Amino acid sequence: MLKTAGLIVILLFAALAAPVLEMKSPAGLNFVLRNSPTPQKYLIETMPGGVALLDYNNDGLLDIFLVNGGKVTSPMQVPETFDRSNPLYWNRLYRQNKDGTFTDVTKEAGLANAGEGNYGMGVAIGDYDNDGYPDIYVTNYGKNTLYHNNGNGTFTDVTEKAGVAGGGWSVSAGFVDYDNDGKLDLFVTRYMEWDTKHSKTCGGEWRTYCPPEEFPPTTNILYHNRGDGTFEDVSQKAGITSKKGRALGVAFADYDEDGFTDIFVANDGMQQFLFHNNGNGTFTEKALEAGAALSEDGRRLSGMGVVFQDYDNDGRADIIVTELPREIYGVYHNDGKGLFSYQSLQTGLGELSSGSAGWGVGLEDFDNDGWKDLFVAQGHVLDNVEQIDPSLKYKELPLLAMNHQGRFEKTDSGASGPSAGRGAAFGDLNNDGWQDVVMTVLGEPPQVFINPGGKQHWLVFTLRGTRSNRDGFGARVRVNGQTRFATSAGSYLSASDKRLHFGLGSSTSAKVEIAWPSGVHQTLNDVRADQFLQIVEPEKP
Amino acid sequence: MIRALLCLFLAWQTSAPEAAQHMQAGADAEKSGHFSQAIAEFRKATELEPQAAEPFVRLGQAYLENHDYSGAMAPLKQALKLSPDLRPAHQLLGYALLASGYAAQAVPHLEKAQDEATLGIAQLEAGDLAQAITNLQAALAKHPNDPDLLYYFGRASGLLSKQSIDNLLAAYPDSARAHQAMAENYYVLRQMPQAEKEFLEAIKLRPDIPKLHLELGLVYASSSQWAKAEEAFRAETKLQPGNAEAAFRLGNALLQQGKAKEARAELTRSDGLQPEMPETLYSLGKTASLEGDSTSAEKAWKKVVELEKDGNLAAQAHFGLAGIYRKQGKAEAADREMEEFKKQQNSGVANEQQQP
Repeated sequence: MLKTAGLIVILLFAALAAPVLEMKSPAGLNFVLRNSPTPQKYLIETMPGGVALLDYNNDGLLDIFLVNGGKVTSPMQVPETFDRSNPLYWNRLYRQNKDGTFTDVTKEAGLANAGEGNYGMGVAIGDYDNDGYPDIYVTNYGKNTLYHNNGNGTFTDVTEKAGVAGGGWSVSAGFVDYDNDGKLDLFVTRYMEWDTKHSKTCGGEWRTYCPPEEFPPTTNILYHNRGDGTFEDVSQKAGITSKKGRALGVAFADYDEDGFTDIFVANDGMQQFLFHNNGNGTFTEKALEAGAALSEDGRRLSGMGVVFQDYDNDGRADIIVTELPREIYGVYHNDGKGLFSYQSLQTGLGELSSGSAGWGVGLEDFDNDGWKDLFVAQGHVLDNVEQIDPSLKYKELPLLAMNHQGRFEKTDSGASGPSAGRGAAFGDLNNDGWQDVVMTVLGEPPQVFINPGGKQHWLVFTLRGTRSNRDGFGARVRVNGQTRFATSAGSYLSASDKRLHFGLGSSTSAKVEIAWPSGVHQTLNDVRADQFLQIVEPEKP
Repeated sequence: MIRALLCLFLAWQTSAPEAAQHMQAGADAEKSGHFSQAIAEFRKATELEPQAAEPFVRLGQAYLENHDYSGAMAPLKQALKLSPDLRPAHQLLGYALLASGYAAQAVPHLEKAQDEATLGIAQLEAGDLAQAITNLQAALAKHPNDPDLLYYFGRASGLLSKQSIDNLLAAYPDSARAHQAMAENYYVLRQMPQAEKEFLEAIKLRPDIPKLHLELGLVYASSSQWAKAEEAFRAETKLQPGNAEAAFRLGNALLQQGKAKEARAELTRSDGLQPEMPETLYSLGKTASLEGDSTSAEKAWKKVVELEKDGNLAAQAHFGLAGIYRKQGKAEAADREMEEFKKQQNSGVANEQQQP
């Protein structure tokens, strides 16, 4: 009897101590993020790079696209070139094979040449032409690139025709249907007015990267999809250029439930922006009056990554913004009526984040208990921060915090050691119903965190819009009291699996309610747990 | 300060009209800034009236104005030979000696001149720190905003403090106080791991020393190690239940960990021990807000605004009040508070950036 009890205790302990995520090195994923740090401390060097999880060939397996930096010389010559034709500095597309290994298909997919004058930053994924194949938009310091997915394993650079090259220093981007016309539009954040000619160093004898305040702010870009393969820059007429910022992250959700997707922009070293969608093609920046601009004490934030999802299962989209150390990650709880309250301390995230610098971020239910947990890629901006403040670290472990009914508690992230984490994308790489993570690391290969899973139940949906955009971006999906806002955007520089994942705990079935961007409401009762389901938008409301 | 020293001269009467003419010519040249000419004129006056002290004093003064401190010494010494109690001569000679680096020799002259300010500086330079502090403090009482005096007083206090600590470290290197002193030094230098180590060593030897736990808590707080900070502050509040700062710090550490209820209790206790501290009231408002008690939060923040008028805390309190009113649907009041907040922000008080 005693022996049995002991065994139960041991098994229970083992179960409790089992890691939520395990770091793996999938065969074939041989990418290195080459950011090329120099003594010049050009700011771009510490900012890349993005990662996207997408099924580019619709074989049901998630593939991985990684954005590379480029070669930086010390000092840079004019005109600036980053040696992007050199394979070392290519962006890379890795096709996932059935056995979980990856094959580099960059060249055959037509993604090899990233543009000599482009230093890579981020990536957005969306099917902008509703042809059923995900397209890739790459942001750069330089000109951005839109790759149309030809549906045959190859892509075509359609930037010029589409008119979405942008310019300056673009960072995060995302596809969003802001006017509910069934076609995905494109929002691009830009960091600041900066170039290598006007670069400088800060920190006196320490010689560090300068804080953002040293450079002028700039505007973000909103492109409207005309539906003919071209986009119109509507930034000015939509009211986006009314505010200049130092934008790094962007995320989308309909926070006030008026049926139109709103835009949150994480700004560095200043107030955050919440562009409220007026429903008539224009936006009004409302962060300050909505209570989502500053910290609880009215201090500006070093906003970097952002996630715009519901962490406390009240059905409303909350905002979590990652920051620098000595600030704490901002948790803006959506109180309804268009108002947010700052709840970093109440959620326990204040204590977990005050010594860390956070970038890519996601709210994903890693243990399928019905509550979205938090993963943050971490690592300081300054590669010599330890010399300045020994209590801070350049390389950090990522943060994995489990959500216990709205309060976050740190757990082992599964990382093998500290690193300079940047981008992070989330999805179910091995289609087992448990969410995985790919995180980019400066100067190193990406880190792949595989979820070993457990006994809880789950559901994963692929939305197929008919009246709405084909990806269903902007849909509000409720499952057994949980809510997700359909998007591939958010985090930092990255694009996540567009499929919507829900942990169901011990429930073996679910009620699913979808509010499509078209206005169609759809309900599915008694949906069996533990399956991947495609939900097609009804043609009629 | 030298300008003040050089303006104290007496009316002089002479028996030799020619000497008087040279004195006048010297004074005119001095007034026009022609110090070499003034020196020549005063020198002639000393030659014509070698038994009079005053021409020697004027000659010394002209040398000083010409920044020729060693040149000033001989005539000033001669003046004192002729008239040993002549205060202006003592004062000028003291100044000339001090400016030439002979601080110890300057001291007796400045004592006779009863010039507390320059005497304090000379004593500081001569290493008599305790006397220097006394005299500089007396001079500061008369000229509270004099930047030179503020600087020298600060320097003298710092040196005296260092001297005392050096003595402590030399005589009792393994004592709790020595570890505390070293820890405080590391803390100022932001070398937190070393500061932590020394504070812990001091606490191991003398856990009963007041403020030790508080200071250790501040080390932890500076690197956002709130659980450890809480433990240290809690130890201090046990040791010193009447210490309002310890209660405030403990409250804040609890607040940072989201323990609103406990934080509020501690901050309320601190407020009781030392009422109307804006920092405590602001944090009390935050804990009340965290607990959803907007009435108490409003009350606390209104008090902050009343006490502070402007500055960081006032700006933060306005921001908090705006949030409360917005949630209560009081748009006008919310806008008013937000305007106040923005006003403070624009004046640059509310937004210092934390580095790095």
